[in-house]
Parts: sequence; structure tokens; C-alpha cells
Amino acid sequence: MLFFSFFKTLTNQTVTIELKNDIRIRGILKSVDQYLNIKLDDVEVLELDKYPHLSSVKNMFIRGSVVRYVMLPRSEVDVGLLEDATRREAANQAGKAR
Amino acid sequence: MSFFGFDTNLPRDRDRGPAASRGFFENPDPFADIARATAVEDDGIDFEDTYDGLGDQLDDDQDAFNDDTFGGGGNAGAGAGAGTSVGRDFDFFGRTAEVSNAIDEEQMRYALQNPQAARAPPAAPQETYVPAQHAAEPTIKRTGYEKYSDPGYIPDLQAKSSVWGIAQEKREPSPAMIPTMPAASRKMMSLEEVEAQMRNRGQAFGPETTQSIPQTMPDMSFPRHPQGLPMLPDGFPANIPPEILRAHLEKGGLPPHLAHMADPRAMYGSPGPMMPGQPLQQFDQNNRPPRDLPSQDPRHAGPPPVQRQHVPPPPSRGPNGGLPVITNTEQLIHLTEEQRNAYLMEDAKRAKRNHKIFLLSRGNGLMTPQDKNFITRIQLQQLVAAAGNVVDADPEAVLAEDFYYQVYSQIRGAPRQHPHQPLGHFAQTYLLQTGNRISGHGNRRAFHSADNHMQRMQQQVQRAVEAAKAKPKNKQLIIEGSLGKISFSNAKAPKHMLNIKRPDSSEGIRPKKVQSNLSIGDRKSLLGNIEAVYNALMSMEDMERTMPPPPEEGDTEAIQEHLEWRQKVQSLNQKLWQALKVMEPIVPNSTTPHPFIAFLSYPKGKKAIPRIFRHIDQEQRVTILTMIVVHLDTLDVVHLAQASGPNDSQLPVAVREAIDLFSLAVMPSLLGYVNEAAFNIIIGLLGLVIAQTQVLAVARTKIGLGILTMLLSRAEIIKEAGQASERDWQQWVEKFNVLFDMLEPSLVHIFPGSINSGDDMYVWQFLAAVGIGASPEQQQRLVIAVKDRVMETVSYSKSLPADMSSQRLGNVNLFMRAIGLDVDLLG
Amino acid sequence: MADTEDAGASVSEPLDLVRLSLDEIVFVKLRGDRELKGRLHAYDSHCNLVLGDVEETIYVVEEDENEEEVTRTIKKQEEMLFVRGDSVVLISPQA
Repeated sequence: MLFFSFFKTLTNQTVTIELKNDIRIRGILKSVDQYLNIKLDDVEVLELDKYPHLSSVKNMFIRGSVVRYVMLPRSEVDVGLLEDATRREAANQAGKAR
Repeated sequence: MSFFGFDTNLPRDRDRGPAASRGFFENPDPFADIARATAVEDDGIDFEDTYDGLGDQLDDDQDAFNDDTFGGGGNAGAGAGAGTSVGRDFDFFGRTAEVSNAIDEEQMRYALQNPQAARAPPAAPQETYVPAQHAAEPTIKRTGYEKYSDPGYIPDLQAKSSVWGIAQEKREPSPAMIPTMPAASRKMMSLEEVEAQMRNRGQAFGPETTQSIPQTMPDMSFPRHPQGLPMLPDGFPANIPPEILRAHLEKGGLPPHLAHMADPRAMYGSPGPMMPGQPLQQFDQNNRPPRDLPSQDPRHAGPPPVQRQHVPPPPSRGPNGGLPVITNTEQLIHLTEEQRNAYLMEDAKRAKRNHKIFLLSRGNGLMTPQDKNFITRIQLQQLVAAAGNVVDADPEAVLAEDFYYQVYSQIRGAPRQHPHQPLGHFAQTYLLQTGNRISGHGNRRAFHSADNHMQRMQQQVQRAVEAAKAKPKNKQLIIEGSLGKISFSNAKAPKHMLNIKRPDSSEGIRPKKVQSNLSIGDRKSLLGNIEAVYNALMSMEDMERTMPPPPEEGDTEAIQEHLEWRQKVQSLNQKLWQALKVMEPIVPNSTTPHPFIAFLSYPKGKKAIPRIFRHIDQEQRVTILTMIVVHLDTLDVVHLAQASGPNDSQLPVAVREAIDLFSLAVMPSLLGYVNEAAFNIIIGLLGLVIAQTQVLAVARTKIGLGILTMLLSRAEIIKEAGQASERDWQQWVEKFNVLFDMLEPSLVHIFPGSINSGDDMYVWQFLAAVGIGASPEQQQRLVIAVKDRVMETVSYSKSLPADMSSQRLGNVNLFMRAIGLDVDLLG
Repeated sequence: MADTEDAGASVSEPLDLVRLSLDEIVFVKLRGDRELKGRLHAYDSHCNLVLGDVEETIYVVEEDENEEEVTRTIKKQEEMLFVRGDSVVLISPQA
């Protein structure tokens, strides 16, 4: 649940999502779920001339599995806390495995 | 061969009538044949008349493989003769309809063979049926729902349990219970639990499900037999096409037992043979839209009104309007050929429409509104559980699963999902740490906090300066005397200029490239150590959170608890201490750095220091400080930060980042300790710097100078506070003199780069700290050593904007005032 | 220094090795001829990652005028990047 927890703190931030088919979409992250499905508002498709069929899309739901990257605003990420959260997650996983 | 699926048969070849089983789409215009029946074969234009014969000239050789390609062939279209096979391939529905005919026939046979099952009463009455609407249409008789017009009537909701193959007694979970169950167990339900609930649900409500099917089920022109109603979509008797019906009719009507079991009205005292015409009315009745259902599902209300419009067909519609009303089989037989065809045509059309409706309503009634609610609830519950939205779950569990969000929200003040959650203490603990945590916003953003650190250092030095000024030294320097003399003393100044002894300074930097020589294995074990430190730290932070309240006197249990807690903390402290490797023996002249110093060379090692300092005692802190001081010149931030020349201020980015991080993370902790340290410790540390390290190399770095400044200013503050014994002070002065003598020749070189490079604040701080402690003679030497830089900075600052200028002058002035001067006096 | 009896940080599972690289520069190879180099800030059991100061390298094979295949590289910088785990091929510490 680490990344679900992580993305929850990024709601209402502007992110850029790169899909596995190279389409890049910038928008406001409205919500995320445990599968890291993502809902974006005020969507703007980068390199729109390549994907004109997306020109009228204003908001969208993106299935988590088609995401390649999410580019995040650095200022909204607490790196130290995130690393600690990762350590805890790793410890939790190890605890569950045993 | 027609590629487009239109009928290529010549009109004379067309086989007429609906008998050819092409399904309900046999005739695009069901009235066309009726029209033909009256106006005998008058197509207006005969194909032969218009055909010019050009087609005969076409070379048809290339068509040889058409059949292979398009799957044509003589025996396609099984239900019809070879003449009609062409073009049939494109009528997919016709094929399907044939199959469905077969299914329906099976259905019939089953019904006949199992009168027992079929004779069961039709599904229980619809509980939600509202009689008012019904009363508005008094013309409809004997629907079986008459009882509902009685407002006092309470329908018997006993469902026919035999349909489900279970005894009625087993329906134990009451519908009212179901909704409360998920709420009671707030956890996410396991799949088994959900299934179990659904099964129970199914038992409780299953029969109800069956009720709504007949309600919306299209009524074909054949009596419905309730057998197989509920869950068998292929068992819809409504599908029985007119062909079969006619076959039965022509054989002399329905077998009595079939008619009996098939007619639902029989159950309500409406005997009599079931005639094909009658179901029209009944159909209208039974398909009344369930307007009064509480369901939100539009499908319930969808198709039925439409079909009502067509039934009975308005008299104005074509020749059909003139047809006699057929009430029994004999009548049908006595009709003229055309009328019969028209009638059957109409029948087929109705069947086609009904089939459409059936398709549309296939899912209707499979779930009651309650079922839907239930499923919705399950889905919501899963969502809620997944979202960690559990209202009063164990905060520990929430933290384990949602640590980042919970703590981040506290730190950044984002609205939490559950502000009432008792997380306050925990988050508070973490707030302290993470709030101070270095570089929370990424390294590049850390400069602001780095400035804070510098300001603290500035304050420390300022305090020392002020303290020193409060007790003026015997001999104040005279401005003209000192600066004037020096500036015009060409005898001295050149000498100092020549003191830029490159060999000297480079000799100071003993190339000791230890850090980069780490083998992979060392690196891995070092990183392992660091992670072990973090593990211990996080455990200790958790322990801090679970600290039991201070025990009351006499409460042995609480005291015991407290003792146990202390023991755990102590053992964790030991674990942390071991992982830090501070106590590893120092191997002189070793090529590998001490493990603790190596620890400090990693960013996460540096970042851990403030957290470590919170959890260790004073003795451990001084041990760490000593370790750092002893290895000052092997610290990555010192030995990598040696500028190759005074004008080469640009260190690699990675090194600059490491220095910033060290200033940010490690220095405040050290400063915090030094500010409270006893004088003998300060003396000891200064002695270590002089004895153990390459002082010149140390002095040429920001971190090295910072630590020296720390020690010097602390000593001055102790002295001014009168806490220093005479003997201690003597010891200190001795050490100070050694340091001064070592540094004096290269004081010019401790400045980073040229004047306009800016960041020389820490140097002025150091010079100020030296200046306070220096003897008057030493102060004079100090001024001589740096006076060029002073003058340069003063004149340079005049070309700067006001705020930058005053900042630069302020830095210089800190030093000037330490030796009793002021930049203002320089004009 | 060689002794690693620290129970907490013993490397017993593959991902424990990744843990050692937290807050260190790592090299990540991805599907689709992509590589990343950046500071590892987070990972989970699916190999989802968060990297800081990332340089992405994409290898594109193109045909030049002589119809010979030429590999072109595209480099991109990102300050903070979430990487979905199902694209990850390998994670390697960048010593």
C-alpha cells in the first residue's frame, strides 16, 4: 500500500503521466485507488498533434496497468519520509512473509 | 452471387410465405406478401423485361473460387431448398433462429414430459405491485392480479422453494439482517464471506427474482408454461415461434394437459382452451410496465410501454385491419389462403417484435432492487476497505499500511481523512523528526535551511564577539595605526604576498583517495550497516511512541512495565550503537576509512545523524563528535572539497551537495552538543584537530572551518562566562597558539575562490572566532594576513545592490568588530 | 567491518538488496529499450519505484540513408519520477 499511500498525498497536484504507448498526459491528479488507477482532471495531452483523437478529452480515468511513468512535482514529495515509509513497507512485507 | 445480401432471386422464384424458417426477419416488410396476396403477382417491372443481356458477356471464370472464398455452396442454408441458399449466408440471425427453434422444441418436449414441474403455480405475486393503476383499466379481466386491487391485501410472499431444490425451512437469514451484517464486521470481507452472504441472499430472495421475469417477459402467441422460468435464459417458452405453434394448431389444437398447465389463468379459475388470439390481451396484461417497482433500473420500465402501443394493432394498419378476429382453430382453417397468410405474417411480425423485447429484457428481473443494493454495498465496502478509510481501525494498522500519507498529512497540514483518529502522538513524534529532517524537499531546496544553520553559527560567533567586547582587551587597535600602517608598509606587505607558498599548501593536502577505493563488498556491508541503523532508529521511534505513562508510586505493575520498556529501549540503543560502528578501532594510516566515517560519506548516513542524536546519551554524542574531529580530514566533505587553487571555487556538484547536506544534517547536531560541552572537552577536541589532522587541509573547507569556529567560539563563551579555570585556560591558549601559527601563513588561501564568488561568510565567522581569542599581537598578524581581502570586499560591495552589499559588509564586519574595528571606519 | 551480524539489515531476499540502495543512485533497465539512472527514494514488492533526479535514456533503432540500422539515443531529465513496476527489468546499484 506504500504507493497508494504515496499517491494520496499528491491529489490535486499537477502530474504528467506517460503511458506505455508513449502518450503523455498532464493533468490534475484527482484520485487514485489501490491498483494505482488514476483519475485526471483538466487534462492536456502533450504532443497533441500526434493524438488528435484525444483533443476533446477533459478528464479521464487511467487504468493503472497502462502507466509507464508518473512525473511528479519534487516539492510535493518528502523524500526522507518516503524512504522511511519504504523501509517500513519492506519490514512489513518481510514480517508477512515469515 | 450477391455480395451484399440482397435477394437475387427472380420474383417468380421467390418462395412465398413465412414457412421458410429464416426467423423473424424473413420479410423486411411483413405486409408486402399480403399485398401480393391480393394483387396477384404484379411486380410492376419484370426483371426479364429490363435485362439487357450484357451480363451474359461477362467472363465468369474468375468466379470459380468465390464459393471457397465466401463459403457459399449448394448445401448452405439447411432449412431451405437449394434455390434459397444463395444469400442465406449473410443472414446470421436466421441461422440462430433455427437453433432457437430447436431449443424451443426441446423446451416443449420437456414441458410435456414433466408436467409435475410445469404445473407448479406461476411465480409468486409481485409484492411491489400497486393496484391503483390496475383499477384504472377496468376492461381487463381475469389477470390473476385482481387481489391486488384490494388495498388490504397482503401478498403471500412464500416463494416456491422447489424451484431451488431446497426446503423452505432453510431460508433462515432474514432480508433485514443482511444489510446490518457487513456493517457489523467492518473489516474487508473475504471472498468466502461474500459468497456465503450472497448464497444466503440467494436463498432468501431467489424466488423473488423469479417473480419479475414473467412480468416483463414477452408473451408470445403461445401459452406460457412457467416451467424453467427462473434461471434458464434458454428456457424461455416465449420464444416458441409461430411455425411450431401452427404445427400444433393444425394437429388439432393443444393437448388438453398442455393447455392446462400452460395457461396461468387456469390457476385463477379461468378454464377454457387457450386460443392464439387471446394471449394478445393477456400479453398486454402481463407486460404492464412495473411502474411501481421501487427499482431505479430503467430497464424495468423500458420496453414494455413500447410493446403496448402495438397491441392490439391499430385497425388502420393495412389489410390486417380487415382480418377477422380469430378465436379458435377452426376459424383459422376456414380463412382464405391470403387471409391466413396475412394472419400468420402478422403473427410472425409480432413474434419478431416480442423476441426483440425478450432480448432487451433478458437481464430484467434477474436481480431485485435489494440484490442490487446488496451488491452495491459489497462493492462500496471493498472500496472503503481498500482505501484505508476504515473509520475506527487500529491506528497501528493504519500506520503500517498508510504510513506515508498519515505522517505527510500531519507535516504538511493536509486535511486528513480522519482527523479524530488518535494519531496525534505518533505524528507529533514524527513531526519533530521529519520537521527538522534535512532536505525534506530535495537537496536543491535545502539552501534555505543551510542558511539557517549559518545564521546559528553567526549568532554563536556574535555572542562570542559581544562577550569579548564587553571585556575589552588591554590594547585596542588604532584604525589608522593598524590598517594605515599596513597598507602603506610596503616592507611587510610584499612579504606576505610572497607567502603564498603553493608547495606548502599542496604539501598540506596529503592525497588520500580512500573513499573511492571501496570494494563492492565493503560498500554493500556499509550500506547494510546504514540500513541496520535506520531499522534501529525506527524501532526506537516506535518505542518512544509507546512509552508507558510515568508510573505512580506503589503501582508495581506500572513500574514493572516501565522497567521493561526501558530495557527494550536500552537494547535498541545498543543495537543502534553497534550498527553505527563508532567503536571500531581506529587503524592509523589505514587505506580504508573508519566505518563510521564511511557511514558519514553516504547521504543517508549524514541524514541519520540528527535522528541518532535524539536517541543517544551525552557520552555517545561526545564519542561521535570525537570520532568526527579525529577524522576531520578524511571526511568526504573535507578531503573532496579541497579546491585545487584559490580561484577554483567550483567544486563538483556532488561534493557541493554533500557539503550542504553535512551543514544541514550533521553540523546542527554537533553544534548543539558543543554548545553545552565542558571546557576540557573543547580543549581536547582542539588538541585532536591539531594532532591528528592536516589542519591546513581542514581549514580550506567549509566544514572544517565550521567545526573549528564551533570550538573557538565555544571556548570564548566559556571564558567570558567565567567558567574556565586558569589552568584550563592556559591549556587552551597553548593549543590556540599552535593552531594560529599553523594557519597564519595560509590564511589568504582559506577563502573560497575570488571575491565575487560570494559564499565566504563562514570564513569571516572563523576569522572572527580566531580574532576574539587572539592576543593583540596575533590580531595584528591576522589583520595583516587578510587585509587585502577586507579591502577588496569593501570596495566590491559598493558595486552591489544595497541588500547584498550590506550582507557582505556585515560578514566582514563580524570579523572587524571581533578585533575592535568596523568597516565603517574604512570609509 | 566485515562482520554483518545486524539482524535488521541482513540481505536474505532479492529486494533487500534494493533496500541497500535507498537514497543511492541506481540504474534501472526497463522494457522498451529504456534505461533510467537516478536516486532511489521508494520501491515496493512490485518493483514500483520513485526516483529523483532521473536521467532517462531511450534507445531508438533507425535506418539511415544507406538503410543501415543506427541506434539513436534520446535523453530526458525528470526531477521526480514514479515508475510502474511492470516495466522494470532490473535494478542495479550504481557504485
